[in-house]
This record gives sequence, C-alpha cells and structure tokens, in this order.
Amino acid sequence: MAVYHDEVEIEDFEYDEDTETYYYPCPCGDRFAVTKEDLENGEEVATCPSCSLIIRVIYDKEDFMSGEVIEAPKATKLELVKS
Amino acid sequence: MTAKKELRGGLLFAWGANSYGQLGLGHKEDVLLPVRVTQGLASIGNIKCLVGGGGHSAIITELGELLLCGHNHKGQLGMGHKQEVLYFCCCPSLQGRIVVQVACGWDFTLILTDDGTIWTCGSNAFGQLGLPQHLGESTLPLPIETLNGNAVEIAAGLRHALAVTEKGLVFQWGVGMKSLANRGLQTLPVPAFMSAREPYEVPGLGHVKVKHVSAGAYHSACITDEGCLFVWGSNKYGQLPSSDDFLPLPFFIQPHHFEGEKVTLVCSGWTHMVARTEKGQVYTCGRADYGQLGRKIKSIQDSMCKSNVIQSRFTPEKVSELTGASQGNLKN
Repeated sequence: MAVYHDEVEIEDFEYDEDTETYYYPCPCGDRFAVTKEDLENGEEVATCPSCSLIIRVIYDKEDFMSGEVIEAPKATKLELVKS
Repeated sequence: MTAKKELRGGLLFAWGANSYGQLGLGHKEDVLLPVRVTQGLASIGNIKCLVGGGGHSAIITELGELLLCGHNHKGQLGMGHKQEVLYFCCCPSLQGRIVVQVACGWDFTLILTDDGTIWTCGSNAFGQLGLPQHLGESTLPLPIETLNGNAVEIAAGLRHALAVTEKGLVFQWGVGMKSLANRGLQTLPVPAFMSAREPYEVPGLGHVKVKHVSAGAYHSACITDEGCLFVWGSNKYGQLPSSDDFLPLPFFIQPHHFEGEKVTLVCSGWTHMVARTEKGQVYTCGRADYGQLGRKIKSIQDSMCKSNVIQSRFTPEKVSELTGASQGNLKN
C-alpha cells in the first residue's frame, strides 16, 4: 500500500489554468502536482517531481467526471417514431 | 527545505535542497555537504539573521541590509522581477532602510524595518501579503498600512502571517487556515481573523502582553512577557497540546506541561512545535515520522491519513537529548 505523506482536500490546492494542473506545497521545496485530466480519470494521487513523497487528493469524483453527456430523448420525438 | 547554518565569525555555509538556487551558491544542484557561501557576501558586514521559505532564503546583515536568493516565481524576493536569483543579492527598493527581521513563508516574504513597518512581497493568492486592495502577487515589497500600531515581531506560515505590535497585541492575516477551520469546526463559525486578508487582531489575547509569535503551516503560537504559551489553528498532527482537532481561538497551555517553567521561545515547523523554557529545557509535540520531534516516540498512532504517521498527541514532551530532525522549521 502506498504511504501517503498527507491527505489534502482539493480546495487546498492552487489551480494553474495554463497547465490545467493542481499544485500543493511539498516539504522538499517543490510542489505536488495532479492534472485536471488525471482527476477526471479518477486518479487520487498527487506526486512531487523532485522527491519521492506522494499525497492523496480528497475530492468529489463526480465534480470532475468528463463522460459524454447524452441527453434523454424527448417524449415528442419518441411519439414521432412510433407513428 | 533549505538547511543552513550561521557560524561564528560571520561565515555562511549552505547545504540541502537547491532546486531554485536557494543556497546562494550560483547553481541549482542539491548540496550534500556544507559549502561556504561567498559570492555577493564579500562587502557586507556580519550576518545577523538567516531564514528560509519554501524555496527562497534571506539574510540580514549587522547593518540592517537584506539579501535574498532562490525561488522567485511569485516575486517573493522583492526585486521587481520573477527570475530566480542564484546568489544572495540585496533588495534594491529597501536600500537605505534598516531591516530588523525577515520571515519567509511558502512563496511570500515579510520584512520588518526599524520604524515598525511591515513590507510584504510574493504570492497574495491567500491574502498573505495583508494588502486586500492589491490583486495578485507583488514583485516589490509593499508596506502594510492598516496595521494598528508599530510591529515589533513578525512570523510567516505556509499561507498566513502574524505580527506583534508594541502594545503586545497579535495580528493575523492570510486565509491559509480557513478551509481546515471550516472542516474542523463543522457547524461553528470560522473566526473573522482566520479569513482576513489584512491584519486582524487575534481575539482572546487582550489581557496579556505578547512578545513572540510563531507560525506553522496551519497553526500559530505566541508567548507573553510572563512566559505563557498560547496556540491556535490546526491540530491534525497533535502539534498543539490539546485534544481538539482545531482550535479557533488562542488556547493557554498550562505551565505544568513545562514543569512550571516559563516558556521563552517557541518555533514551528509545518506540523510540529518546539518550545524552550527559561532553564533551557526543550519540549516538542506534533508530527514525528521524519524525526521532527528530536526524541523517541512512545506511541505510534495511525493518523487520519492512514500513512502510519507517528505523532505525540496532546502533550509536549521534554527532549532529553536532541537527535536531529527533518522537515525543518519554517522559521529556521
């Protein structure tokens, strides 16, 4: 099992719009990073590029879900097909 | 974190993480053994004070000159630009002023000059500059004009800052503690001083005269002129001698924890605290899994984050023999 340095809520991360990445301070002086795409894919580990520490990101996965949005068929259309 | 030491005679040696040139050695390679820092220091007086932040370093000379180097992506070096600086360089806009203290937060800097003014530069993402009208970071030191009184001491946490005034009042700004307060206090309201972006008096200390302050990542501590220790903020790792997870107001630590002695110094790491008493005894509490507490730990507890974090909760304990620590103090 991975040993996390800490567990940190997503709201405590700083978001950089240019890199679409969330950052949180790492005690080594660098920053833990996790991309928005990673979070959309359910990833919950933020890693530090300079040291071996990792942290678990606490977030609501539903807030980041990126699945295709399929609209429910409208009743009127269904009726048209029937007739 | 940068590890550095000032030696007698004013020689400066540096070692440790150096990702941003914070060792002042002219390069960005990590340094495993102490190396003497010379560049930029030839014509200055003796070094009086040395502190480190997330990736930047600052020194004050005997003459009150401020020199900085290292990470500068938010302008935390106060030099009017955002380029990394690999050698200790003076802060041009403060030349002619006498700097008496400097405190480095994660990516911001507080500077106290001899007239009691606090200057701040770097990131303002959490209101840690104490300048609510200033949007975004500042690459130049700007004076905080809304502090009620002259400052005599400052401290910088990860995303919050503290000041003591001549009258012995404590002010805090920067919203670093706010989200932890929200969660820790659940239905209770978050005190206004924890969500302030300009100096806000910390309540509950009006009856005492505070002399010293210290800031951890998400906690604060202060000592009064009578040697009483007060703490507030996050207690996630047992860094505050209390059974509560979060302390919204200053909490008095009873002297019996220190065998009745007065507390004369308090320092904070990210998630631990070190206190020294009048007779020179050292007490530590908080997170211990990197050796932060400098002593053997009696109990091993799983923390909230399942990371086998070793911590000593609720009581500060005496350090009989200092054995070394890592995850260094923000206030070196």
